[in-house]
Parts: sequence; structure tokens; C-alpha cells
Amino acid sequence: MKTALLERETAPAVAPRGPRRGGARGRLLTVLLLGPVAAIALWAAFPLLEQGHWIALGVLAAATAGLFYLYLSPRHVPAKYLVPGTLFLLIFQLFPVLYTASTAFTNFSDGHRGDKRDAVVAIQTASVTRVPGSAEYVLTVATTGDPATGPLSFLVTDPATGRVSAGTAGGLRTLPPGEVTVNPAGRVTAAAGYTVLTGGQAAARGREITGLVVPTAGGAIRSQGLTRAYEGRAGRAYDEGCDCIREAATGKTWTADDGRGAFIAADGERLAQGWRVGVGLANFTRLITDPAISGPFARTLIWNLIFALASTGGTFVLGLGCALALHSPRMRGRALYRTLLVLPYAMPSFAMLLVWRDMFNTDFGLINNLSGLGVDWFGGATSARIAVILVQLWLGYPYMFLVATGALQAIPAELSEASKLDGAGPWQSLRRVTLPLLLVALTPLLISSFAFNFNNFNAIYLTTDGAPFAADNPANGATDLLITYTYRLAFGGSGAQYGFAAAVSVFIFVIVAVISVVSFRRTRRQEEVYS
Amino acid sequence: MRTKAIAAIALIALAAGCSSSGGDKPGPGSSAPAAGGKLVIWGDDKRAAALKPFAERFGQENGVTVEVQAISKDQQTTFVTASQQGSGPDVMVGAHDWIGNLVQNGAVDPVQLTAAQQEGIAPNALKAVTFNGQVYGVPYATENLALIRNTKLAPDAPATVEDLVATGRKLRSQKKASEILCLQVGQNGDAYHLYPFFTSAGGYLFGRTAAGDYDPKDLGVGKPASIAAFEKIRKLGEKGDGALKRSITVENSIATFTAGKCAYLVSGPWAVTDVKKAKMAYDVSPVPGFAGGKPAQPFLGVQTFYVAAKGKNKALAQEFVTNYVTAPELAVALYEAEPRPPALTAAFDQVKGTDPDLAKFVDAGKNAVPLPAVPEMATIWDPFGKAESAVIGGADPKTALSAAAKTISSQIK
Amino acid sequence: MTDCTEPRPGWAGDGRGGEGQEGMKMRLSMRWFSAVGWRHGVAVVALLFSLFPIVFVVSAALNPLGTLSSTTVLPRGASFGNFSRLLTETPFPHWFLNSVLIAGVSAAASVFLSALAAYAFSRLRFRGRRPGLLALLLIQMFPQFLAIVAIFLMFSTITELWPPIGFNRSWGLILLYLGGALGVNTWLMKGFFDTVPRELDESATMDGASHAQTFFRILLPLVAPILAVSGMLAFIGTINEFLIANVFLTDTGAKTLPVGMYGLVAGERNSNFGMFCAGTLLTAVPTVLVFQVLQRAIVTGLTAGAVKG
Repeated sequence: MKTALLERETAPAVAPRGPRRGGARGRLLTVLLLGPVAAIALWAAFPLLEQGHWIALGVLAAATAGLFYLYLSPRHVPAKYLVPGTLFLLIFQLFPVLYTASTAFTNFSDGHRGDKRDAVVAIQTASVTRVPGSAEYVLTVATTGDPATGPLSFLVTDPATGRVSAGTAGGLRTLPPGEVTVNPAGRVTAAAGYTVLTGGQAAARGREITGLVVPTAGGAIRSQGLTRAYEGRAGRAYDEGCDCIREAATGKTWTADDGRGAFIAADGERLAQGWRVGVGLANFTRLITDPAISGPFARTLIWNLIFALASTGGTFVLGLGCALALHSPRMRGRALYRTLLVLPYAMPSFAMLLVWRDMFNTDFGLINNLSGLGVDWFGGATSARIAVILVQLWLGYPYMFLVATGALQAIPAELSEASKLDGAGPWQSLRRVTLPLLLVALTPLLISSFAFNFNNFNAIYLTTDGAPFAADNPANGATDLLITYTYRLAFGGSGAQYGFAAAVSVFIFVIVAVISVVSFRRTRRQEEVYS
Repeated sequence: MRTKAIAAIALIALAAGCSSSGGDKPGPGSSAPAAGGKLVIWGDDKRAAALKPFAERFGQENGVTVEVQAISKDQQTTFVTASQQGSGPDVMVGAHDWIGNLVQNGAVDPVQLTAAQQEGIAPNALKAVTFNGQVYGVPYATENLALIRNTKLAPDAPATVEDLVATGRKLRSQKKASEILCLQVGQNGDAYHLYPFFTSAGGYLFGRTAAGDYDPKDLGVGKPASIAAFEKIRKLGEKGDGALKRSITVENSIATFTAGKCAYLVSGPWAVTDVKKAKMAYDVSPVPGFAGGKPAQPFLGVQTFYVAAKGKNKALAQEFVTNYVTAPELAVALYEAEPRPPALTAAFDQVKGTDPDLAKFVDAGKNAVPLPAVPEMATIWDPFGKAESAVIGGADPKTALSAAAKTISSQIK
Repeated sequence: MTDCTEPRPGWAGDGRGGEGQEGMKMRLSMRWFSAVGWRHGVAVVALLFSLFPIVFVVSAALNPLGTLSSTTVLPRGASFGNFSRLLTETPFPHWFLNSVLIAGVSAAASVFLSALAAYAFSRLRFRGRRPGLLALLLIQMFPQFLAIVAIFLMFSTITELWPPIGFNRSWGLILLYLGGALGVNTWLMKGFFDTVPRELDESATMDGASHAQTFFRILLPLVAPILAVSGMLAFIGTINEFLIANVFLTDTGAKTLPVGMYGLVAGERNSNFGMFCAGTLLTAVPTVLVFQVLQRAIVTGLTAGAVKG
């Protein structure tokens, strides 16, 4: 599909350029393009309308109207080009980023994921136990009305006595034995005044069945699936008066602490089910003051910078070198070479990272077996670092090769020929003409490649996972990047600590952003030179 | 020309749309739920495939649509995150040591089993899924480590670790094997596989409360008993006998054994499939302990069906988990997909006749302790593994374990 | 490793050549070497570096035992058992189609979207241009490993309202991927638009062409190589994407290649390694095909433009 697009784009280049005729045809095309937009908006509007999401509906209408205005009016030319991509960017990239950043100020973590109501429900549900000595009822779901909508009743059979009772939210009443037919398994097949629901009918009303609680003297009868019921009692309940959880049997209370998002008893015992609350800058303070985190930070940052620079610079030099070597019309087999050189990039990278890791195995790895080196690759800091950079070079240089190939093609041959005529050697013409031009196009790419490698989680996680670790520090390894290091801090301990991880992400982001902004300022000069 | 391009794009989009709506969904009506509702089950790839026929049968019997979906990675986190946002399944299949975390996130509901159902489940499995006095899932299979040996190389089961090492060294010097023992360590250690040796040498992770539960306040990792245990492990390591090596990893330990390069493999029931495929003579025996040491205790893991607390169709999920899964047929089918001993006694009795390995694995698990389900256990794995790897590489046990203990206790809240 | 750079000094030194060497033959071969030969040398060394891990994967894929430690560089036994098992016992064909569809559509769409934006950033002058460019760059730099939570948050609602673009649908995933469309590609293309002389579009405007005509008819053809390159990069990036696809696609039939294949090794620890390698190789096939097709555009696309320019 890509080719279709390309061929069409190349074709007009040879077509003669006529006088102005943008007008009518252009307008027609705009309308043709806006048609689908309107159709999609309409399609999207119905579910919103049905479920009464009025604000969302308003946003949708405004966005659609905005698009129509933008493309029908002759003004706002830059916006016409920027809006399509930006829309996606805002929704699917900026929103997740902002959302993540905002969790940095909360205690969002395992045990603190939902809101307080969720926690209360979870605590109460977890405390429901069967009333000791109560019957293990066989359940038949029935209704006194229509199977799809009528009010539900639980027909429960006590297998010990064979007695059948009908239960509703109002209570339980025994049915006279003559009015019900019970099969050997204890299920009611017919009962006077009731319609027994089939499995499918009952399943369709699963939510109501789960919600139906039949009060009894000792507790309440609840369904357990569609064919069994039990008499249970909640051991703990939320008491709004004291904003606490009270245990019925002992009277012990756990009071809500909205600062920590947990119910805490007087003796300091905390219920595991907590909720999410804002904690201000606590995550950031922890990041800076915890010696286990800030201690190895500088060392990790330096290695992280080296890794990112070596990966970016190394792949660039290798890729450019290969692109230069293949950049000659006189050379035969270029297409084949190119295809084969791109192969490492075409292979799924996560798979190849795993393969490389195994190739570096001390005793069974291909590298030691072939070379006979016997190096404990991931056992020593230096060798492990060399190994991970080597893997990055392998994975990444075809990318640079591709980009550089494209860039070289874009440099008019006349330029280098002209410099040749000026008496410059190939090396000089490379340095004076080709490289500067290439760098205009590629500097931003190098910056973003640097940023990518700076946070190249998989490169470490799937190979060394930070190894080797010094015997006295199991938290920070020699090949750990900031991101793998913090991943371990945030997720290696007791449960996932999203809030903290988000704080660390923000912190890393600031570091990379500063580096990038500084480099970016330099591109302004280049842009000015060539524009 | 532009029109052509646009038409082309539209055509592509249209074609793609058709192919996606035609090819994406194997099950009928994943967009419009069938009249009876829909039950969504998540598991890992292996189990999802085995479950499928049974889930479909359950669906037919109850007039509902059942979808079995496989999550390939990070099942637990994905389940909890998806549940929280209301996109989770109705039933989750996973290991029992998730329970602590699932409960603190309110992701699963307790299940109420009848006395008869509880009696049908192996007692240690039932104990494993019981947390704070509640049963949180229905176990269907158990697993624990055992020693699998190549009977051609090592005809007799070793009684002690020392016997094992002696035989292994002899085989190595005779060039019949290149390794003494295949026990996965990896670059960053593997606490699960080391645990039998660790306990036999006298180490412990958590102390026990009077009631027999794990006591997170009594961390055993940095204690003298554990350091002494690691001294013994160090002697087995790269600077000692070379029985434990970091180059033996989760990926290659079974393969190295099936290739005949080592006579002994410490692994679980999942390894048997590969061993059988290699058509080698083998036998299964308990993991031996050190001579004069304590018994070697592997961990007991229990594969469990959970009812999701935030599922869309909880009644159906409960029906499936508590009334359908507790029947032996499904457990037998899951056993056939992967040979772990079924946790349902009836299912176990049904298959043990055809598979003598099962009883041997259960025998090897006689001493097994259930993997602790307390959330604190999660803090142990990583630092303990790092210490293991360092010590096997020759580091000082005291340094390594003290550092690990420090890291662990800083993470226990 | 030093493969690509090593022979370069020879090339640089011999460029002017012909300073009175001994024999004619020698001189000829020297000239051949300095012009073309060294290039083959570099290419062959680079190929060795590129291919040797892949050869390992190939031999593992052909190894009937299909395990890691039993695999050597050269295959011991050649059998296509792994391939046939992969194609018949797993939904691999489904995964393959899904992947090609998702990667193809999102690559094409993202190239188009970013070309539009790159044009605006390169040719038009408006307020917020530099900050906009910077913002584009910066958004990419936010560590993404936590985004999963936000994605669940967002797509749980979307799935409820609009199932065809929700979880388990290719179109939902494509939309999500398009969020990153502007990222690197825009930068890459903007850089190339910058190298195309402005006089070209200025003269077109003089001739009365609208901005749209200038964009579609003058600029796009000129930067065809980079469109091809970035399309290629987007295709590869998407077809290999794992983290998001893993949580997005849970339906067995809806999965993409990386997700499905990861499941092969994750489920059975090690014994599927041969099948996994076979799958890895097959995954590379669409990418190589796309590259084959685009390669012509990368090389010849510009020639057409250059003649014109």
C-alpha cells in the first residue's frame, strides 16, 4: 500500500506544471475528505447520545465543527497541515504522558489503586464467611414475572431436609412441599407461581443475581454461582459515623486515614485494602533523600550517558560508513547488500535481544564457544558493558544505515562533484560537503535516538537485567540504566509502586529534556544556515 | 491524481477493515454478547489452549458465550490493572502466591466451597489458597521441584547432595557429562530453585508466628543460619565443586539435561514433557539434602482459578469456578495439556495409574512448603537471587546476604 | 564491529591515485580497489557482523530438537518441522495477517501525517513553530513504561462506547500507534524538506500553485526517498511492538506476531525455541519485502526529482 502512495507521489514530478487551477478541484477534494470525517463523527456520536455523555458529545461536535471550519476557510494554513497528526498526538500520547505525570503526586500502588469506596467494598466482601452450621443450599433462580425482566426469587433447597424456600430481598419463606417439584440433585424444576429460569436466562441476569441478598436471622443468603447459595455474614462493615471499619465479632475498629489512604487501627494495624490519595511531593522527596536510591544515582547516570552516547554515536558511525560504502552507482549487488544489511533491524528486536543474551552465556554461548575466549561476559562490569553496547550496535546500525542512505540520496550529486573539481579529495569533500549536509537532516534524529537509548529499557532488561551486581549492592548493577534501576525500585519490591515510578519518570524526563533542549538550540543555527 | 491516491487509500482502508472484521475474531459475536451473556477467562497461553474446549462446553450447557484469552506476559499486573479499569476478565487462572496482592487490590472474591468440595481437594493445595481464613480460589494443579536424573548416567537416586556431587564429578572426569548438575541459577539468581538446598543447609526466609503463618517481622535472610547455609552453597559454586553455575539459566537448564550434558536436573513437572520428548531414560526422586542437614524443602505452587471481583458477570464466573472446575474432568484435561499433578484428589487418582511420575513428584513434594502468598514475599525474590548469584560466583556470603537483607527490609513497610 | 570504518583510510588516501606504481596490473587492481573494491570489502565485513546471529536463528529454526543449547551455528539436521508446526498448530497465519495489516496501515498513515506536519514546520512560518518542534521531540522522551495504566483507563471507556476501535481490534491499536506518528518521523522529514532548496516551491507559487499543490506535487516527490525510509522505519517499529500490543490484544485470533510468538516461549519455557526462531524469521519476511519494494523508491525516487531540480 505504501508503494501505491509513493508512485503517485513521484508521478506528478514529471507532469507539466500548469497555471493556477487549485480552486474548484481543490475545494471538491476538501469536501470529499470532510465527508468521511462527518460520517465518523456521526458514528461516534450515537453511543455518546445513547449513554448520555453530554460533555463528550459537545467536545465531539466542537471538534468536528472546528475541522470543517479549518479546512473550508482559506486561512490558518499551517494548522491545516498540523492538526491531523496533532489530534492523534494529543489523545493517544500526550494524555497518557500527562496522566502518568499526574500520578507522581499520588500514592498509586498495589493496595492503593482504586478509590475509598472500592476499598470498603473489597474489605466487606473479603470478610463474608459462611454462617457456621448453616445449610449448603442448592439454588434455583426463578421469577414471578417475565424471565427477562420479572422480579427475581431464589428458590433454595436444603439438601439435608429437602425443604424448599423462596427468598427475595424481603426475606425467606418456606414453600409448601406440594407446590414444588425437585429433581434428585435438589434443583427445583417447577414451582407454583414461579417461572424457573434456564441457565442462559439466569446468566443474562447475572448482575442482579449477584446483587440479590436474602436477609435471614443469622446473616444473609447470597448466590454462589447460578446453582448454589450459602448463608453468609460479613465480619467487617463500614461505619459512616466514625468513618471506620468495624469488626462485628471483636468490636475492633480501623479508622480511615485520608492522608495515607488506608484504614488503620489504634494499635497501628493497617488493612491491606487501601485507596489512592494525593501525597504531594512525597515521592520526589523519597527519590532525593533515600540513600539507597540517591547513593548510586551519579554512577548510574554517568554509565547511562555513556551507554546512550556510545549506542547513538556507534550506530551512526557504522551506519554512515556502510551507507557511504554502498553509495556508488558503479558498485554491483548494492540492492542485495542493502537488503541483507537491514536484516538485523527487520528481525523482531525483543527476540534478538534474547538470542544475543544466550550467545553471551559463559559456558554455552556461541561467542565463547566460537572464539574460545571463555570470558564471563555478564560477570564483569567492563565486559558486560561492552557486551550490551555491542548488542545495541548490531540492533541499531541498520537504522542509521537506512536513514543515512536516504540522506545521501538527497544530497545533489552536483555538490560533491563541484567540490571534487575544486580539488578536494574524497575525504575532504565528505567532511566539507556531505557531512554538514547530512547533519542538518540527521541531527534531530540523533537527538531522538539519544533519548531513545537513554531510556532503552529492553536493551538492558532483556539481556543483563542490570548484571553484574556487586555482592554488597543487590539493588544497582553495573549495566543498569536509570530506567531499569527505577523499574526495579518501583516494581521489584512489595507490589507495583506506580506513583513512585511516575515520579522517577518525571525526574529522568527532566534530565533528558535538558540535554536535548541544549542540543536543540544548536539546530537553530543549522536551520538558519540552510534555509 | 490526488483523487486517485485518496481513492486508493480509501480502498486500502476498506479492504483492511473487511479483513480485520473477517479475520480478527474466531468466536462468534465478540462485539454483541449472546443473549445469555459472556464469560471471559484469562490465563497464560498454555492453559488458555487447554481450557478452551471445556469453556466452550460450559458455554453451551449454560447458553452463554465463553471467551478464553491468553495473556503472554505479566499476567498478574495486567489482570489487576485491567480489573481496576473494568476491562478485566470474569475468571483468572494463575498461581496461588498472587493471592496476597490480588486481595489487597480487591481484584478477587473469596469463593464459598461446600464441605464436600473442600474434601475433594488435596489438603496442602487447599491450605495454599487459603488467605486470612478465606478460600480465594479453586486449585487445580500443584507443582514442586524434584530431582530428575538420567538413569543411564546415574542409575541410583542420590541420598545426599554430597553423593550427587560425587557422582556428577566422576561423570565429568569420565567425560560422560560436562556438568555436575543442571539447576538454573542465571546471572541474577533464582531463589525458587535454590530453596531446597537453602533450607537443607539450615537457612530460612521468614520466621513463623505461633499460628504457623509467615512472620514478615522475622526476616531470616541476613541471619547467621542463612549465612552458614550460603557457605555450603558457595562450596557447591563456581569456585568450589562447580555444581552450581551462573551459566545454567532458565532457558538452557532443561535443554542441557535433555542433551545428556548433565546427569541431574532440578526442575518441576513442566520439565517432564521435554525429557520425554528427548526419549531418554529418566527417573524422578526428591531433591536431596546435605548430609547431616535438615530435609530439603521445595516450594509448593498451586495453579488456581480465581473469580474476579470486578468481572462483568460474576454469577457466571462463580458458577464456572466453584461448580464446574471442581469436577475432575477439567483437571484431567489440564493435566493432559501439561503434566502437573492435579489438585483434585479424584482427578489425581484417575491419572496416576497411567503416569508413575506424578506420584514421584507428589512424593518429592512431601516436605514442600506453600509459596508464601503474603505481599512481603515479593520483596525477597530479587535481592535474594542477586545474593545467590554473587555467592555462587565466589563472593563472601556474609557481605552478600547482609546487603540483601538490608534491601529487603527497606522495602517491607 | 569496526567493519564499516576500517577500510576508509585506504579510500581517502588513494583517491587521487596514480603516483607511479610499479606494474600496470597492480595499478588497475589498485584503481578497482579504490573505486569499488573497498566498498565490497566493507559490505562483506558488515554482512558478517549483521548475519551471524541470524544464521544462528536460522539453524535453530531448522533444528528439529528446537532447543537452545542443542543449537550450533551450522544446523545439525535440516527439517522444516518447526515451520510446519508453527503454521498448523498455532494461529500464526492470523497473527501474521494482523501484524501486516496493523503495521502497514499505521506506517502509511503515519508517514502521511508526519509529512503534512513536516511541511508546515519546514516551509511555513507561524507562531509557536520552534516550541512546537521542541515539544514534539520532548513528548517522545517521556519514559513510556507506565503508559499501560493510562491506556487501560482510556480504552476501557472506548471499548464500551465504540467496540470496533476498542480492545482486541486492529483499528484500536492502529489509532493508538498513530499517537506516536508525529514523533521521530516529523523530525526526519523536516530535516529533508529543509535540504530541498526553497526556490523550488517559491517558483511554483509564482506559477500560481496553491500551498497544497506545492506540497503534493513539488515537495513530496522530491523527498520520496525519505518517505520510503520513514515508512520503512514506521513499519518495522510497529510490527515489532510488543509491550502495548501485549495488553491490548488478548484474543488469540487478534494477536500480532510478537505477542503471539512471545506466548510460544513463555508458555513452554524452552522447548518451543525452534518454533520461536522459525516465527522470528517469518516475521522478518514482510519487512524485507517492504524494504525490497521501497528500496527502489529510496534510490530512484530522488533521481527523478534531481533531474527536475
